[in-house]
Amino acid sequence: MSEELKINEKYIDGSLYVVLSGEIDIYTSQGLKERLCDIVEREKSDLRIDCSNLNYIDSTGLGLLVGVLKKVKQNGNKIYLINMKENIKKLFVITGLDKVFNIEE
Amino acid sequence: MDTNSEKIELRLPFKAEYVSVARLTASGIASRIGFDIEAIEDIKVAIAEVCNKLVVIKSDKSDYYTITFNISHDSLTIVFDCDDDALGCIFGDDENGLGVSIIKALMDDVNLCMNEGSFLSMTRHLEGVN
Repeated sequence: MSEELKINEKYIDGSLYVVLSGEIDIYTSQGLKERLCDIVEREKSDLRIDCSNLNYIDSTGLGLLVGVLKKVKQNGNKIYLINMKENIKKLFVITGLDKVFNIEE
Repeated sequence: MDTNSEKIELRLPFKAEYVSVARLTASGIASRIGFDIEAIEDIKVAIAEVCNKLVVIKSDKSDYYTITFNISHDSLTIVFDCDDDALGCIFGDDENGLGVSIIKALMDDVNLCMNEGSFLSMTRHLEGVN
């Protein structure tokens, strides 16, 4: 029923990018959380998430990213959110999470 | 379209897979009224935050809740109802949570705890209309 959330991985200059396309909502967030946790466990490096084609996120999605960030920080690494659309960036600003994540254009 | 005091009702099960239906419906109605794209996105997110909370707190997924879109010439008021009076203030223990922060930031008037059957309402005004 929700717009499908597609999760792809690609390596650019040796760095892993997780590419998200679609919507993160209460229906799609659980699958994303499991996938990101698997990636964090496997890679043990900074997590770069390409949000160019991410169209929607809600508090469920924000909450899951905070949870994944805790895991990433345990390894001394960071999460980079890249090319977020304005409607999504707005929610990070409202909730103060723009100061918690590394947001890049 | 005469938009004076018209109502559209949407009745949904307490299931996560139908929250997107609420978002899509809200998008269509807000667009019809004349809200711009940014305001439409705001309304979609605010409605979904309420739906998310309902889906999480309601254990009996066979029940339904109703979203009423009250359309006027200068605003859209969304009211949430269900038959279960026990729901009460659904954000009562979560007033400082992400969901409430988002709703309050995106909507103009928010009533998180209502009486008389409905349990939550929120309004977004159309800018530049008196």
